[in-house]
Amino acid sequence: MKRGGVIWSWFWMILGILYFFLPLLATFIFSMKAELGHLGFKAYLNVFSDPKFQTSFPASVIWAILTIIVGILLFVPTAYLVRLRLPQARSAIELITLVPFVVPAIVYVFGLVGTYSHPPLLIVDSPALLVAGYTVLSMPYMYRAIDTGLRAIDVRTLTEAAQSLGAGWGTILFRVILPNIRISILSGAFLSFAIVMGEYTLAQYLAKPAFAPYIALLIQNKAYEPAAATIISFALIWACMGIIQVVGGGEQGQVAGGH
Amino acid sequence: MRTKTFSYYMLVLFVIAATLLSACGSAAAPAASSGGGVSSVPADLVAACKAEGMVTIIATPGNWANYQEIFDLFTATTGVKINSLDENAGSADELKAIEANKGNKGPQAPDIVDVGYAYGKTGIDAGDYQAYKVSTWDKIPDTVLGLPAKDPTGLWTGGYYGVMALEVNTAVVKTAPANWNDLLKSDYKGQVALAGDPRSSNQAAQSVFAAALANGGSLDNVQPGLDFFKKLNDAGNFVPVIAKVGTLAQGATPIVLTWDYLAFGDKDSLAGNPPITVAYPSPTIASMYVQAISAYAPHLNCAKVWMEILHSDQGQLAWMKGYAHGVQQADLESRGAIPADLKAKLPASSAFSSAVSPNPDQLSAARDAIKTGWDTTVGVDIPTPAP
Amino acid sequence: MSVSESVKRDAPKARPALINISWAWLGLLPFFLFAILFLLYPSSTIVVGTFQDAKTGGFTFQNILSLSKDPYILSAYWLSIKISIVTALGGGVFGFILAYSAIRGGLPRIMRSSLMTFSGVASNFAGIPLAFAFIALLSPTGMLTNWFKAVGINIYDHGFTLYKFWGLSAAYMYFQFPLMVLIIAPAIDGLRKEWVEASENLGASTFQYWRYVAFPILLPSILGTMILLFGNAFGAFATAQALTGGQITLATIVIGAQLRGDVLNDPGLGYAMAFGMVLIMIVVITGYTYLQRITERWLR
Repeated sequence: MKRGGVIWSWFWMILGILYFFLPLLATFIFSMKAELGHLGFKAYLNVFSDPKFQTSFPASVIWAILTIIVGILLFVPTAYLVRLRLPQARSAIELITLVPFVVPAIVYVFGLVGTYSHPPLLIVDSPALLVAGYTVLSMPYMYRAIDTGLRAIDVRTLTEAAQSLGAGWGTILFRVILPNIRISILSGAFLSFAIVMGEYTLAQYLAKPAFAPYIALLIQNKAYEPAAATIISFALIWACMGIIQVVGGGEQGQVAGGH
Repeated sequence: MRTKTFSYYMLVLFVIAATLLSACGSAAAPAASSGGGVSSVPADLVAACKAEGMVTIIATPGNWANYQEIFDLFTATTGVKINSLDENAGSADELKAIEANKGNKGPQAPDIVDVGYAYGKTGIDAGDYQAYKVSTWDKIPDTVLGLPAKDPTGLWTGGYYGVMALEVNTAVVKTAPANWNDLLKSDYKGQVALAGDPRSSNQAAQSVFAAALANGGSLDNVQPGLDFFKKLNDAGNFVPVIAKVGTLAQGATPIVLTWDYLAFGDKDSLAGNPPITVAYPSPTIASMYVQAISAYAPHLNCAKVWMEILHSDQGQLAWMKGYAHGVQQADLESRGAIPADLKAKLPASSAFSSAVSPNPDQLSAARDAIKTGWDTTVGVDIPTPAP
Repeated sequence: MSVSESVKRDAPKARPALINISWAWLGLLPFFLFAILFLLYPSSTIVVGTFQDAKTGGFTFQNILSLSKDPYILSAYWLSIKISIVTALGGGVFGFILAYSAIRGGLPRIMRSSLMTFSGVASNFAGIPLAFAFIALLSPTGMLTNWFKAVGINIYDHGFTLYKFWGLSAAYMYFQFPLMVLIIAPAIDGLRKEWVEASENLGASTFQYWRYVAFPILLPSILGTMILLFGNAFGAFATAQALTGGQITLATIVIGAQLRGDVLNDPGLGYAMAFGMVLIMIVVITGYTYLQRITERWLR
């Protein structure tokens, strides 16, 4: 990149940073005003010591991780099969993955809760339904990310090479293919994680502990604590993203068929 | 590679620190207030409730008229877990939750609801309630504010009522408005807010209703209220944000039309940060909130215990400590059961002597009119479709 | 794993193709089962509800008819479309610029990873917390408003307000920019460095590089992602609800009000509106799929 170009890059970056941080800064400053007359962390202490926070935040993290795992287990073999053997199925599957995008979330949640709160399908109380719902909501992003990743590597060659070396399907999928699409999975995992942490309607109507309903609760009752909780959640989610990235090998990972 | 491991450890450390902080925090949290339960609740009900193991309530925040104390009373009496659903919900949502969970005995089905006055009738018509007469039934007056305070068959029972008031953040608003016409003054540009969306919120709709009374309307004619808000909006004084205690404190909605007990509750919880004043405009509206047991309640006995507590002396006093006006107030007064310091805290009834209360039909008609008329009369941003 | 159970290891050429393919279809079964149970069947309530009279349960076209006749509803749709287009365009353009600056702009590597992780968080920062952050920033008593006041400018006197269309759009950008960044990043990665060098070698200016090399390759991805941004904004409602008290009547807010069941409201109408939204989105997605097909040519 030419030298003049770098200056432009910095310009746009700084503009972006300003846009993203100023609202956060405003929220942070407001959260510090919980004590009259001076700035302090009282609101933060209140949030951290709130038992509902202590249950809802880890709960949402767990839902998110489960959703990501289910997504990987469900979508990787599917996308792989489609790419390798069943291109005829591709249009149908892509259409399906776009449905959560097309249907307004509030309507979907109502439909889901309505369908499963009557016998004989009365599983509305089970956490599995929540995870299933989250998996559906994150499906457009997760599936798309995995599909993009598979598209960028030479699936056929990798499979045949692995097979000729005597690998079974499990090994092929999880020890050959998966590492090669690691970056795409990571990107899908990011989005899924954020979606689950921020999702309100489903958790609310299924009456399960989750973080977004907790924040809504705070806003109903308290003045300064919601701002503190927002900042806390931002920081913690960002940290979790960072962990996911580092654990997943980071952006520096190699993609077979190299760019 | 070294930076990667380093950043990994730093991040993990950060998350662990946050978790530890919450653990430390919980150690510092004050011990839950201990206190006896409510002894007037029949013991067999309490035992049956304990067997049920849970009670599900809905749309009932702890800081709404000091409900938290009622939660504590319930826990102290039965030791049973309280499952609190959707504290942001409105009365209509509560009925919908009952209907949507008819066959469901799980935690999504509410046992008991606390709804606006009009929903007493609506719920009966929809078959959402089942009858129960509390043991203190006779202590509940037949009428409060000129309207029935309990359904004759026990399908719903009035609990408390509130009066529409003006809540003002005096750190932002130097001279608080005292009455409806003050709100139109240019001093209050962009400062007047409602506590909900008038098309769906009971409280916000009643704010409009109250405005109607002050501007030539009546309990049967809410249009002047819509006209008033149109004037307010045209003057630039109306801010469309739904007021919460956070936006009140931050200053985005420094003047809020809300129930007096909520305003007084905010004043206490904010404790001067920022300072709040509460004033009663004149005329104003008073409205009762009623409670009913769901026809499909999964935990019927706990719901009954809950009702008993609400109508015990301690329950009524709890609401009154939350600045709401308990329906059994007159009875408690006659027995001298109200502590002197509580009596001193409560606003004098002369302050809201102008309050009138609409009956269910008037409420429903007004809500219909507001729902259809809000956009057309007050209408903020309705662009015409492109040609 | 059903795949390892049902798809046997084989030498592809030795077995008849029929057995392979049918085993492979079995491998797709979990996905289809999942989709039917948890997505298609629950979502079908929209179609059912659209054509069902809410009071009698009978079949009716009335819900759709009332949809097309009511100017209030039509304007709600139009408003939703308007804000979705604006934030898709704005989000797409600036998001792309940000992504490109971080990935190929010659900035330190940490800028890219921070931007990516931050975008992950910010792309779902919506609803009440986002609305409140913007209120804390730009309300008449907000931080930025006060900064301006300190230098003598009252932005509210100059006609600015947070609570109308442009204020809401500014808030929407908070999750549109990051979404663009996240989705377009792989495409930017696909711009091989060799191509920049090659064009420089051939004497092309930066402008010519963009005009003849980069944009033609990136454009389908950019447009396709913008369509995703459109859908993202189209379906959003919590932010608008919190920021404007529902005064900016988006289609989703109207639907929410109908469905949340103010008992006097019309759920049939709510479903019909949702159906209308689905139809609009189908049109949009068709455009997206078409653009995807074009993009693929380059990534092969």
